[in-house]
Amino acid sequence: MKILVPVKRVADPDNANKMKVTADGSAVTSEGLAWKVNPFDEYAVEAALRLNEKGGSGDVLGETVVISLGDDEVIQTLRQPLAMGVDRAILVKASDGEIDSTVVAKALAAVVEKEQPDLVLMGKQAVDGDSNTAGQMLAEHLGWPMATFAMSIEVADDGKALVVGREVDTGVLTLKVTLPAVVTVDLRIVAPAAVKNGVTPDDHAYNEGARYASLKGIMKAKKKPVDQTSLSDLGVEASPLVEYTKYELPPARSGSATFVESVDELVEKLRTEAKVL
Amino acid sequence: MTADERSFMKSIFHGVIEESLIFPYPEMDPEERETVQMILENIQRFGESEVDAAKIDREHKIPDDLLTKMKEMGLFGLTIPEEHGGLGLSASAYARVIQEMAAIDASLAVTIGAHQSIGLKGILLHGTDEQKKQFLPDLATGERVAAFALTEPGTGSDAAAITTRAELTDDGQHYILNGSKIWITNGGFADVFTVFARTSAPDSGVKPRITALIVERGEGLTNGPSEEKMGIRGSSTTEIFFDDVKVPVENVLGEPGRGFKVAMSVLNSGRLGLASGALGAIKRLIQMSTERVNERKAFGRPIGEFGMIKEKIARMSAEAYALESMTYLTTGLIDAGVEDYSLESAICKVYGSETLWYVVNETLQIAAGIGYMSEYPYERLMRDARINMIFEGTNEILRAFIALAGMQSPGKHLAEVAKAMREPIKGFGLLREFAVQKARGLVLRERLERVHPVLSREAVIFEEGSVLLAQRVEQTLRKHGREIAEMQFVQKRIAEASIDLYALAAVLSRTTRALERKGEAGAQREVHLATAFSTLAKARIDDRLVNFERDSDELLKEVAAQTYADGGYAFDIV
Repeated sequence: MKILVPVKRVADPDNANKMKVTADGSAVTSEGLAWKVNPFDEYAVEAALRLNEKGGSGDVLGETVVISLGDDEVIQTLRQPLAMGVDRAILVKASDGEIDSTVVAKALAAVVEKEQPDLVLMGKQAVDGDSNTAGQMLAEHLGWPMATFAMSIEVADDGKALVVGREVDTGVLTLKVTLPAVVTVDLRIVAPAAVKNGVTPDDHAYNEGARYASLKGIMKAKKKPVDQTSLSDLGVEASPLVEYTKYELPPARSGSATFVESVDELVEKLRTEAKVL
Repeated sequence: MTADERSFMKSIFHGVIEESLIFPYPEMDPEERETVQMILENIQRFGESEVDAAKIDREHKIPDDLLTKMKEMGLFGLTIPEEHGGLGLSASAYARVIQEMAAIDASLAVTIGAHQSIGLKGILLHGTDEQKKQFLPDLATGERVAAFALTEPGTGSDAAAITTRAELTDDGQHYILNGSKIWITNGGFADVFTVFARTSAPDSGVKPRITALIVERGEGLTNGPSEEKMGIRGSSTTEIFFDDVKVPVENVLGEPGRGFKVAMSVLNSGRLGLASGALGAIKRLIQMSTERVNERKAFGRPIGEFGMIKEKIARMSAEAYALESMTYLTTGLIDAGVEDYSLESAICKVYGSETLWYVVNETLQIAAGIGYMSEYPYERLMRDARINMIFEGTNEILRAFIALAGMQSPGKHLAEVAKAMREPIKGFGLLREFAVQKARGLVLRERLERVHPVLSREAVIFEEGSVLLAQRVEQTLRKHGREIAEMQFVQKRIAEASIDLYALAAVLSRTTRALERKGEAGAQREVHLATAFSTLAKARIDDRLVNFERDSDELLKEVAAQTYADGGYAFDIV
């Protein structure tokens, strides 16, 4: 099947302590930050590749395309999914000030109209803004069925539907979505047996986590096409609804820990000292 | 002298600072840097998901499926040009990848290093187009693995002692190879060997002709069992036996009889892989140390607050900065087309392996009790580190090489030094050339003009040190002439001063670049490291060169001679 995977460039979460805010709180400074694909989006890339390959054989079953919004620097971030095995990339040129989840969802909808994928697979949220809204808005714009927080995906009905296990507070909710659909993924989608496409042998053992790219894959990625378009080309107005009024860093953690002997004592302390109960 | 023939360090011996060779500090072009960053990220991910270094050490083996995954990953074709199926990385990019692999596991780094840094390097440097077409594609994918076979029971860096013999058949179409090689990395599974064999009669009076041959595993070529080793236990180290192995004459590498030249050129570049591998291990160890000093508490506070710990961490960082600066300055020289980097790469190997030994020792010391326990990785990392001071030329032969080759004209190599050590008088006639040269540094102090003014104090340490080195060299040669070939106490002091001078030059160049890029405030941390390193280096250079002629040399020789005669330490208190 043809799968479109929207990915966002985020500051490397392993280096989040380098994040700084300007003195007046008007902006986050990006100096010295390393950029990466949003981890949840990378899980979506991994899941898409697993859906679109006969695992272990090197055979590819369908086209996988990544898309992102941002400036030219984002192209470098898109090389990683391309090196992992994605076929091509699309960059919608836009500056950070022009976009929020609503604009992103409209832009993605416009690209979906053009590309006609069978499935849009994306991270449940980005680890910078943690909004968790773009996927849902996109499904609404398209009028497609949606499954969020996927922890497992199985191809069903001869490829016409997906059975999706959703991780919710009370357990796992399993539902079937008819394609085309929007699915957002959670961390466990990259467990070794989380994705079943009906072609890859059941005993094929995937590694835990998103795959690493081979060095050949990295060289090839340099030559894979990155189509560029813009919000105006797509007919999308750059009018974000969210307005950021002020940024501040979270308070530093105190780092103090108190050890307790029993659950009763824990509950007591949570009530009287921490005052959270 | 054309640009390509110049050597920064050999010029320093002559009192000349070839500043244009090392300024500006080299850097990869943006596209390659981007590619290398991606390669490193994916190698880290590979390491996290696939490699269990403790298990490799415990089982004395790299699991077969891991080796297969390393080949699929592309780690066997890093330096092979794209046209032959490899990645075609530059010397700097290759060294950086080896650095990353060494941080993951030393056995893995040594395995791919033995394949590419030395095993197939001869084919890259000296192979004909036919040889390249025939061998490189399979070596790039790792379908076949390469090894470098020089060492024999009686010989390491001494080519004249090679006894493995290659005899031309009557029809002139083949060599018949007989003999054996020891301690061959990848020996247990390699398919393509670069072998050095004597192609002249073995009698001592004749100047030996050593020829480099590409030898494929096949009839008559066998390997011994894997040697049990102290460290890098996952790597394969075996003896290799040649019993009437038939090698087509088309497999001669370079010219017949010029094999030692092939060996030296391969080892010159191979040593840089060891230096960058040492750096990878060092960076990991410093990370382990800094984690440890914050966690571990003594007397109610983290041990990192104590001065003796801070001194260790600071010195480790300063020396790591110097090693990184010199290693990537040298790979940058190679990428810029400089041909003579033999002295520089020998310096990187000696300094890298000894800095690693210092860092691993201090890291284990900081970890204290748990450092000594096999449950923790410290002792394994120490065992893995130890080999670097031994292989690819012991640090002793390399010190002799640095001192003696530096005193010769540029273009002279370890071959002459080996000859000089074998026949001190006959072999070192070349030295006269130097003695009569007017060393410019003696008359006019050369200056490092391109160093940023913030570093002027450190630049003076370098300038004064290099003048002193040139003076000492000149003075020694005037006084002792060819006898210098036998004066290893002096050679050692000259070599050690040269190592610190090269480190200092590299640090000055790199820090100047940082200052030019980021300004004084932005490059403050680099400046601190540069200043800290130059303080350490100055003390060592002064120790070696200010008090240069020492009566104690003769005394120590006498003590050694007596100890030899006694067959050990002869004293007791009862």
